[in-house]
Amino acid sequence: MKPKIVVVPCSGIGKTYGTVSREAAYEVIEDLRPETSQLVALSMLVLGDENARAAVAASPAITIDGCKLACATKMVQESGGQVAQDFAVLDVYRRHRQLKPRGIAELNEGGLQLARVLAEEVSAEIDHLQGGADA
Amino acid sequence: MSDYFEYTLDKFTFYVPKDRYYNPEGLWAKADGDRVTVGVTDFFQQHNGDVAFAEVEAEGTAISANKEFATIESIKVDLELPCPVSGVIEVVNERLDLEAEIINQDPYGAGWLAVIKAADWAGDQAKLMTPEAYFEHMIRQAEEETKGL
Repeated sequence: MKPKIVVVPCSGIGKTYGTVSREAAYEVIEDLRPETSQLVALSMLVLGDENARAAVAASPAITIDGCKLACATKMVQESGGQVAQDFAVLDVYRRHRQLKPRGIAELNEGGLQLARVLAEEVSAEIDHLQGGADA
Repeated sequence: MSDYFEYTLDKFTFYVPKDRYYNPEGLWAKADGDRVTVGVTDFFQQHNGDVAFAEVEAEGTAISANKEFATIESIKVDLELPCPVSGVIEVVNERLDLEAEIINQDPYGAGWLAVIKAADWAGDQAKLMTPEAYFEHMIRQAEEETKGL
């Protein structure tokens, strides 16, 4: 059995795009690809948590960054992990301008839809990395 | 001697070139004869975050100084930009359509917004801030921002 693909979203608190990244990650982990993906919290990597570091060392990671600082991507790399694909919320939004995200604790409808689009893109990448669709 | 002023606050460093003029809202204007290239400052782009979309009024549009001529949507805010000069928009930076991030990457170069054929550059220039004045203004803005943190 192939190891689960690690998904690491942005941890930007108080940022709309950070919320979109986390919403997308939750949707992937809980609904779209629960059998082939696992969430690793960026904060745990920052803390140097052994389990989190082991997870990113053992499996390709998909990162979802909320801004150009790309903390998720950088932290996976600094933790010894391999970033198989990095997604940026802004890039997805540029392709779906009608889905304007608003809100922080609770996203507006546009933000939720944007998170869904992003989650589907992440899921497709997980399938690609796993070599087939999640049954 | 450096071609720009530089100011560092916390982890941020802001640059202000000495070869152009500025309005208080953070737009610059650089003249070549009566053709004036305009854009946003480094402080503006860092303060407002990653730019998602930037739109400038169409080429041929007549504009007045301090009137809106462009809009920017960033990850933080939607902004209407007041033009630093009066005249007619001669060229719009077409790269902004697909690569709005160049405003963040190179605000004083490739991220320019438009070239305007100025109606009265000398008059507009006199009302704009010198690099020295804008630099001081920007420092005050930056320090004011950090007070709220």
